[in-house]
Amino acid sequence: MTRADIDLQVQLGRLQLPNPILVASGTFGYAREMEAFVDLKRLGGIIPKTITKEPRKGNPPLRTVETAAGLLNSIGLDNDGMEQFIVHILPYLAELGVPILASIAGRNQTEFVELAERLSHASTTSGQASLAGIELNISCPNVSHGVDFGTDPIQCERLVAACRAASALPIVAKLTPNVTSICDMARAASAGGADAIALINTCLGMAIDWRGRRPRLGNVLGGLSGPAIKPIALRCVWQAAQATKTAIIGIGGIASVDDCMEFFVAGASAVQLGTVNFYNPRATMDVLDALPDALAEAGVLSVADVVGTLQVIPS
Amino acid sequence: MQSSSFPTDSGRSVFYADKAHMETARILDHRSIAEQTYRLRMECPTIADRIVPGQFVMLRIPACNDPLLGRPLALYDTVFDPAGRVVGLDIVYCVIGKMTRLLAGQRSGDPIDVWGPLGNGFPPLVCRHLLLVAGGIGQTPFYSLAKERLGQKVYGNRSRSVPRVEKVTLCYGVRSANFLAGVAEFQDAGIQVEICTEDGSIGHRGLVTESLQAILSESNEDCHIVCCGPEPMLEATARIAATWNVPCDVSLETPMACGIGLCFSCVVKIRQPDGGWDYQRACVHGPVFDATKIVW
Repeated sequence: MTRADIDLQVQLGRLQLPNPILVASGTFGYAREMEAFVDLKRLGGIIPKTITKEPRKGNPPLRTVETAAGLLNSIGLDNDGMEQFIVHILPYLAELGVPILASIAGRNQTEFVELAERLSHASTTSGQASLAGIELNISCPNVSHGVDFGTDPIQCERLVAACRAASALPIVAKLTPNVTSICDMARAASAGGADAIALINTCLGMAIDWRGRRPRLGNVLGGLSGPAIKPIALRCVWQAAQATKTAIIGIGGIASVDDCMEFFVAGASAVQLGTVNFYNPRATMDVLDALPDALAEAGVLSVADVVGTLQVIPS
Repeated sequence: MQSSSFPTDSGRSVFYADKAHMETARILDHRSIAEQTYRLRMECPTIADRIVPGQFVMLRIPACNDPLLGRPLALYDTVFDPAGRVVGLDIVYCVIGKMTRLLAGQRSGDPIDVWGPLGNGFPPLVCRHLLLVAGGIGQTPFYSLAKERLGQKVYGNRSRSVPRVEKVTLCYGVRSANFLAGVAEFQDAGIQVEICTEDGSIGHRGLVTESLQAILSESNEDCHIVCCGPEPMLEATARIAATWNVPCDVSLETPMACGIGLCFSCVVKIRQPDGGWDYQRACVHGPVFDATKIVW
């Protein structure tokens, strides 16, 4: 078996991707920023920074604090709003020839549906479809009421179903780990009709300056990402894979091809690299270079052949 | 809101790190130049060939997960070999936290991850007398700036042309005499250095802004102020500049997670034409800003 025999394509519900290496929303700007470091065309997919219906200034600084093997952030969905995205950013992304999944966040179900409708419309009116799908950010811990859809299974299912009905594009539901049962949330997103479930978003955390008796983050609480959360993410992916047949996109501290393979074995059909883009902007290229050899080492011909192959010996 | 829309920003063009390069560089030289202050020389010809004064690089200790992130460090100077080929660059840093403590333990020959050049560098600064105001380690972006504007050295593209100045003065404030770094180098380049210390151990006892006031009271004609250091000092300098009707740019030391424009951590409140303000990323819109545009 040689590298040339390896098929990197993956299918997640209605969403087909050329390879399973994607970049996570909020860690890759709007892709334009990375042109000097990354051959963007090689990526399996790009999820730009989350957009909201109206512009948002975001949270006050400090917005990020480094912790042991991790990064706490409370950016607060700083973005210029849906219309600016459609006018200034989407045309650039559409030209790349890479699957683009727009990440959206609404304050309520109506806003989510409006965003999904407007983006689907904008995606198709330009002639060639500029979006490959929509990722529902129902898990940002840094905006008030941002996580309700990610913590209440009934609301989650309704929201996913409503967005699915409002858009012809494949729908990815991005879940938060800050729940008692990730399985309940995965089943809810699946029941709502999600093409794929992406997990995990950041783990809620905080950092304290004890001498000043002050929180370090301007917003007090923030979301933890980076290698520190990888074991939590692996656990969530594995549990969700047991709970649902819906395709899973693994996220959380992935920084190397070994990390990617661990997520595939746990049950993820694709992965998103996030925080690593900040400290190794070439990480996606390094992983893509190494992936065929890793799959060959696993003795498989495609990514799908290794997905969910974890063997747990019953006690 | 303009903070994240591209391709252009009103006024200054947005820099998207398009000339940036990433490599694992070899440390060529690493030495202490003042109390808790080191100069690190790296072999990175591609970056050194492109970088201009006011830009920065991100530095990271390879394969280290704690600290996880790179750190932004300003260009101090570029380094050439005897044949005149660009070899690498120098940065100067002060040991203040986990990363810089570890960095201080790196030796010549050790590898270091570096990516850049990042940020926009200094604007044209058309004037006769360039007044540089530095607090602590804030002097580091000024050595290359002064040499360039005095016509002593070319940075970046060989055809790069920048306005010359007749005179450069550095108002340099530190806690105490033993924290002074590179004063002789600045003086050798023909820069007048006005030293201020908090404890009076050398130079003027007091704040660097007092030195600035004294200079401006002699003449504020055809001056341009550039300031780098702690935020209260930047704000005080901006106020003085406004009082004397002298243009002022500030180079910010805002904490950054990526330095490229991805993370939206390093935001600064910038005045907008409509009278409001918006957050802009220091890494792609700065790190040098017109002081009158900043909401302090």
